[in-house]
Amino acid sequence: MMSVSTLRIAWRSLGRNFKRTLLVAGAIAVGQFAFLATSALMHGYGEQFFNAATGPMLGHAQVHAYDWREDRSIDLTLADIDGLLVDIRSDSNVAHASARIYAPAMAALTEDGFMGVVVGVDPETECHEAGLLPVDGMGELLGEHRVLVGAGFAKKHDIEPGMEIAIIGQDMDGSIASDLYTVEDVMWSAVEIIYALGIVMSLDDAQELLLMPDQAHEIVVHTSDRELIDETVVRLSHLPSLADLEVLSWKELAPFVITMATMVDLFAYIVLIVVFIAAAAGIANTMLMSTFERTHEFGMLLSLGCSPGRLSTMIAVEAAILGLVGVAIGTLSGIGFVAATSESGLNYAALGGSDSYEVAFKGMQFSLLIYPRIYAKDIVIAVAAILATSLMAVVWPIMRIVRLRPVEAMRS
Amino acid sequence: MAVLSSRVPHLTAAMLAATVLVLLSAPAACDNSIAPQGRVPESELGVSSSTPIVPPGYTAPDVAQLIRNFDNLYDSSGTVAVSEITIVRPGKTRTMRMRSWSKGDDKALIVIEAPVRDAGTATLKVGNNLWNYLPKISRTIRIPPSMMMGSWMGSDMTNDDLVRESSYLDDYASELVGRSDNPPGWKVKLDALPDVAGLWNRIEIVFSDDGLPARMQFFDRRDRLSRTMVLEDVRWIGGRRVPTVMRVIPEREEGRSTEFRYLSVEFDVDLDDGMFSLAHLERRR
Repeated sequence: MMSVSTLRIAWRSLGRNFKRTLLVAGAIAVGQFAFLATSALMHGYGEQFFNAATGPMLGHAQVHAYDWREDRSIDLTLADIDGLLVDIRSDSNVAHASARIYAPAMAALTEDGFMGVVVGVDPETECHEAGLLPVDGMGELLGEHRVLVGAGFAKKHDIEPGMEIAIIGQDMDGSIASDLYTVEDVMWSAVEIIYALGIVMSLDDAQELLLMPDQAHEIVVHTSDRELIDETVVRLSHLPSLADLEVLSWKELAPFVITMATMVDLFAYIVLIVVFIAAAAGIANTMLMSTFERTHEFGMLLSLGCSPGRLSTMIAVEAAILGLVGVAIGTLSGIGFVAATSESGLNYAALGGSDSYEVAFKGMQFSLLIYPRIYAKDIVIAVAAILATSLMAVVWPIMRIVRLRPVEAMRS
Repeated sequence: MAVLSSRVPHLTAAMLAATVLVLLSAPAACDNSIAPQGRVPESELGVSSSTPIVPPGYTAPDVAQLIRNFDNLYDSSGTVAVSEITIVRPGKTRTMRMRSWSKGDDKALIVIEAPVRDAGTATLKVGNNLWNYLPKISRTIRIPPSMMMGSWMGSDMTNDDLVRESSYLDDYASELVGRSDNPPGWKVKLDALPDVAGLWNRIEIVFSDDGLPARMQFFDRRDRLSRTMVLEDVRWIGGRRVPTVMRVIPEREEGRSTEFRYLSVEFDVDLDDGMFSLAHLERRR
């Protein structure tokens, strides 16, 4: 049982070489801060990744005609789209179900054409947080031959609101489809195809342009809770009207998101291991130096009747205090960092000296503005690991003390 | 001399309609007969010297002459043609009729006449540029380079097929492979020369015994068969004896094909340069 005096002696011993103690505690603090900050950024990045994937792009589940995802052929459509939507929305777990049309097209403001993609959306059902039109009032900008264009697309081709844009494509029959539209506004989207190539128009306008009455290429489903996705997908796939269609959850549509999440966790643990190694080396070095310097003192204490066990406890307590002080400073710094940046976000692009703050990956457009997130689990794991490391680091010094002979130690 | 045949290989459908026939030159070039040569000349440009398999009783043709004739098959100073293109897709077949004018190697105008929904839609080629005129919106729009590999009018041909100019004789090393049983004739292999940019790594052509192409197989840069063109219905048209139907069958795309059929052709017609202009394209509507 550790006595108060042992704790007091350990504390004072740490203060005898204050600079060294401060240096090691500081190193542990920096390591702990690095771990928490990295974890927070990776969590923030992972959350953005998940939200981008399961938000407007994939939703929680999708319905297509078989082979549409591979061929993207305009005539692989879902027929009786209104009936399908009624059936899907009748499931109590379904919060939103939206039909979409995708068709490659040529666009032109003047004589020169450029490549784009017509995206037909239902303004009424896409206007929610995870929809393609997440900002209030966006839906009202579509319809009656008015379109929105992706921000990247607009920037590349100097498209501005109010311009007239010609769209030329191929309709369901294979004939040339062409019409004129007014650019109502420019929109940012996390969906790469919309950001970089998107000409977003109402589902009605797209159906009229492409000769697709009551048809669409995709239905995107959002459930009311993430936990309900799998069971909802199973239930939807058993609906008679969806029997000949492909019903897939986001996990099947984008397995890379799962891989990404695993990589994020793996990366965090690699950082943690590096921190542990640094902490272990620092503490072991400090305690070993400390025991060498105090060999004479230990000899005195042993000859006065102090047991090797108590000396060992004292050394272990010193290491634990060192680790705790360091981890406390590091944890507070980490929490402070997250508190300071979780609302405003951290601009990766600015850190890298770049003006751009978007990056595309696997069809998703990411902002490089990351909102760090920290979880209690990370703090508990880090504190426990640093403490365990501190104690492991004193095994060698303790073994040396146990083998000390009082007389020889006093002569040293 | 740009080759119509070259376009054919690239599936110049539009070519067929417009350009192909259009780009034609001297009728004299269209000597379809294969005079027995006794052996394959090794000195000819681009002709490989490897030994072909010539069955007993046959005499190997002059490969260079075959290719030269092919290059010039549809060559003409000015061509006016009416053609029909049938695009077959799984569960769907669409036929368009078009009228085309072409002059020299680099000018062509194709106007769709039927079906009514597409009537008036026109494609103008001048050099490497392509414009589409869309009557519904009264706009003329130039096809951007990024869309040159896109489908032309929904067919199995690309826009690039319309503007690409190449010569089998100049761009490929030809080699007689031997006799072909199906279709019967002589099989010639064309390997793309190293410094020539293009889609095809290799083209195999079967020439029937009268010297006309009967089948062409196009192999991509990975040497995979990419598409087959069957040339058939050989007839006298516009004063020349040529295949009047060309059917393109893409590989690995079941149920798809595109067929061109010449309904009428006039070769060596005197055409005004002014008709190959944007102003004319828009005015004629």
